[in-house]
Amino acid sequence: MKLAGKNQAWERHQKHIPTIDEEGGKLWGCFRSCFLQSAAPYTEGIGYKILKNDLGMELREAPGHTSCGAIGYHGDVSNLETQMVVAARNFSVAHHELGVDNLFSFCVTSFANYTEMIKLWEEEPEWREYTEKTLKETTGREFWIPHVSGGRPSVVHASDVFFANREKLAAKAKYSLKGVKAVDHIGCHYGKIFPGECLGGAEFPQVLVGLLEAFGAEIVDYPERRHCCGMGFRQCAFPENRDYTASSVYKKLKSLKEAHPDCHLILTNCPGCTVFLDAEQGTIKEVLEEEFNVSILDYAQLTGLLLGYDPFKDCGLNAKVVPIEPLLDKIGIPYDKSKTAEERRRPF
Amino acid sequence: MGTLFNELKQDILYQHGMNACLNCGVCTAVCPAAEFNDYSPREIMNIVQSEDDEQIEDLLKSDKIWYCGQCFSCKTRCPRGNNTASVVLALRRLSIRHGYFAESEKGRQQLFAKRVFGENVLKRGYTLLAENITPAHFPELGENWEYYYEHRAEMRQWWDVPMDLENSPGSHRMIPEKDLDEVRRIYQKTGAIALMDAVEKGMEKKLGSKAEVEKYWQTWLETGDSRNYEIPDRQ
Ligand code: SF4
Ligand code: SF4
Repeated sequence: MKLAGKNQAWERHQKHIPTIDEEGGKLWGCFRSCFLQSAAPYTEGIGYKILKNDLGMELREAPGHTSCGAIGYHGDVSNLETQMVVAARNFSVAHHELGVDNLFSFCVTSFANYTEMIKLWEEEPEWREYTEKTLKETTGREFWIPHVSGGRPSVVHASDVFFANREKLAAKAKYSLKGVKAVDHIGCHYGKIFPGECLGGAEFPQVLVGLLEAFGAEIVDYPERRHCCGMGFRQCAFPENRDYTASSVYKKLKSLKEAHPDCHLILTNCPGCTVFLDAEQGTIKEVLEEEFNVSILDYAQLTGLLLGYDPFKDCGLNAKVVPIEPLLDKIGIPYDKSKTAEERRRPF
Repeated sequence: MGTLFNELKQDILYQHGMNACLNCGVCTAVCPAAEFNDYSPREIMNIVQSEDDEQIEDLLKSDKIWYCGQCFSCKTRCPRGNNTASVVLALRRLSIRHGYFAESEKGRQQLFAKRVFGENVLKRGYTLLAENITPAHFPELGENWEYYYEHRAEMRQWWDVPMDLENSPGSHRMIPEKDLDEVRRIYQKTGAIALMDAVEKGMEKKLGSKAEVEKYWQTWLETGDSRNYEIPDRQ
């Protein structure tokens, strides 16, 4: 029964992501993330290196592309109309200035935001008309809609691109996750807003599990696996609201610990989860004196480690609250043991 | 059906979010915000569905609409295809336009959203900037973050993600002025600037003067907690 349901969900939630072996699969336009560039810039850095050096992609981005603005949309400083025209502008810049057809974003909220606008234009022609007209009036630019997945109007997320090329990445990996227990934590804005755009749907998303399995990890399950991390935009951004974030993280990690005390790795694809599932472990340790020591890595950081990139200089594991060394030891990844933990993290 | 409800009905966010709510409570059962706060998406939908202006006004003046974390867990689950998260966005905009947001503690935080996310976009083209993630406001990021924050220009070089480069692709680059002007025109034309202005005005009305709004803002910047500012008693 359980498996049948899973298979059905899997069949209903397929999407095509061009791989590097397909025509056009090596040329991508990409949209950077406001959150990552402010709170974890190295994750985009290692993502870039892998896509370029290991998958041989050409990545193009324009100096003039801007934020999708969706943090401000969920933070109530813009309207849906604003989001439509800003999205159309970024698409137009990518296509008409850079000549790219395939686009991915590093942020799951951008992915959901762009997906929402594309669906809106498809379903409500009067909003498409409004967008075209307003784009022209405010910027002089021409409207264009990307068709990334299976020839239908769509964009994809950077983790989709990693997933699509996972066998190639696994074949190049220097280290494996054999004997390592791990679980995914899918960003809400990747899986829950448009489950049809999530590989495997909201229940059985495959995008991160597929990557973990390709690297040989043993996947575990736990009751609160799909619970939100509590990032919450205005909740995590304003310190006085962050009890919500800490409480959500506590609920999740407590549930994981009860089910699998020996699982110390969560793989993420959302900037918010990547930062706060880690950071709030520090708060919990201080306030409740309870330690989880679960390493939170995003898909690019983990892939980078397994490909043999430097954990600190390349993968940017300098600023995590949970020390990364126990996981490196478990996988067998070398690092400079003549230095102290602090020296490894602070080069200047 | 009153004028507030009528205005709400005009918002495309509302039109997209509300079909008909059967009050089943599934959204509240999965809602992370309902778990930790006095908040229930089912209750929000129920009040809105009443089309009763008095109840809607109370809601717009309360903390409740600001608790939602915008995770959309409720959207995935609703058996009627409602999207409470979008209805909440429409309610928040209505609350801002009428100045009701300034009546609640959580609503007044909109000043920070406006001055951080909103002004960042207009100034730099990004909703968040490296300088915003201060160790004082994000103590949970720990001592390594303090070190990073202090050395952020060099650290970003070291990681191959340099910041603030001019006329270049890459993260945290300087976006050319001509592109920023396009974005500013979009924000103007689509009503985002008006929404942001309504926040400043609503706060000024509530706190009594521009100077008090600045005091409120400074209190937050310096202590990370707006509750340290005492609302003037203006009987
Ligand atoms: S799940 Fe949907 S129908 Fe049920 S109470 Fe929530 S909004 Fe209403
Ligand atoms: S989007 Fe808001 S109302 Fe819906 S589940 Fe998340 S926190 Fe609750």
